[in-house]
Amino acid sequence: MIMTEPASRKASKQPDEFSAGPASAPAPEEEVELVKRARKGDLAAYDDLVRRYQERIYATIYHMTSNHEDANDLAQEAFIKAFQALRSFKGGSSFYTWVYRIAVNKTINFLKQRKNKAHMSLDDLDFNAEHDPDLVALISDKTPRREVNLAELQEKLNAAMQKLSEPHRLVVTLHDVQGLSHEEIAKIMGCNIGTVRSRLFYARQQLQAYLSDYLQ
Amino acid sequence: MTMNQNTENFEQLRRLLKLKRYEQPPPGYFNDFSREIIARIKLGERGEDSAVIGRLLWEAPWLQRIWAAFEAKPVLAGAFGLAMCAFLISGVIYSENGDVQPVAFIPAGESIPNTVEVPNVVAENHPLLAKPVALEPSSTNPIPPLLVDGPLLRGLNLHAQPVSFTFPIRN
Repeated sequence: MIMTEPASRKASKQPDEFSAGPASAPAPEEEVELVKRARKGDLAAYDDLVRRYQERIYATIYHMTSNHEDANDLAQEAFIKAFQALRSFKGGSSFYTWVYRIAVNKTINFLKQRKNKAHMSLDDLDFNAEHDPDLVALISDKTPRREVNLAELQEKLNAAMQKLSEPHRLVVTLHDVQGLSHEEIAKIMGCNIGTVRSRLFYARQQLQAYLSDYLQ
Repeated sequence: MTMNQNTENFEQLRRLLKLKRYEQPPPGYFNDFSREIIARIKLGERGEDSAVIGRLLWEAPWLQRIWAAFEAKPVLAGAFGLAMCAFLISGVIYSENGDVQPVAFIPAGESIPNTVEVPNVVAENHPLLAKPVALEPSSTNPIPPLLVDGPLLRGLNLHAQPVSFTFPIRN
């Protein structure tokens, strides 16, 4: 579902703001305090935690499913499950990594169940996409109708992503789309950094082959 | 082709993947997102409580009828509550005064012997037993088991337990 850009979207976040590196994580002490309160059943504290990570968790699931409704349901379920499992959270990792892992596992389980029943329900492109120099450079040679081509490109890109296996799609999503480091991805996926790198390399190769018509 | 060469080649792909970052949910989507989660958590907690009550009611229809009667007539529920309170209080009072020594009801003028002889039941006198019973006390149990070898009780192993009686003695 790609529509014309509403005016209210012009003030929306820039894509770089979705890069979820460690620098964007809240201060550990503050997070630990919020987690402690939430473990005691303080829903206001948990609400605060949800607000901190809701966009990143939603985005990860959305890029994995290419479906807004599924991403909405799974993101909500992941946060609810995280709240119910807070007592088992030992604090060995950050809450951020822990909730990410819950969301990722939930999404992968969902994707395995819905195998071959996938349908895309794509979010709208932000208005600023038309002015991104990298994207402009990619489409300017092809056609003067940029909006249509961005939409087409979006569909092709999502279709190619859906052809990847779940672990490969996840690595591309977390690294190339969300900007997480190899170390963080390894923690979330519960594997070593070498595995992350090799999966990333293979996934990029695959995507490049699928999207060769759109790459110079 | 080395990995470094491929990394350079992937630059185009990374630019294309940048498009994914511009995909945004509907405006205002995140305004109510956490509120919905908190509401669902609250609903789930209430749901668990009501599920337990529901299961109890389902498994015990008589409880369901009583519950329905209480819902229809709150006075009945109040009366039941009062009765339960009264029962509880009387139970507490009774337990506090419960250290009463047992009293034997013996007619006046009758003398009570200091010891009472309990007649020994000899196995061989029993009409159902054909053979005498072997009575062998063990080191742990002074009362021996009754080994029965009669026609009707063949194979039965009867255990006798020691019994002590205390009788009030009038001075």
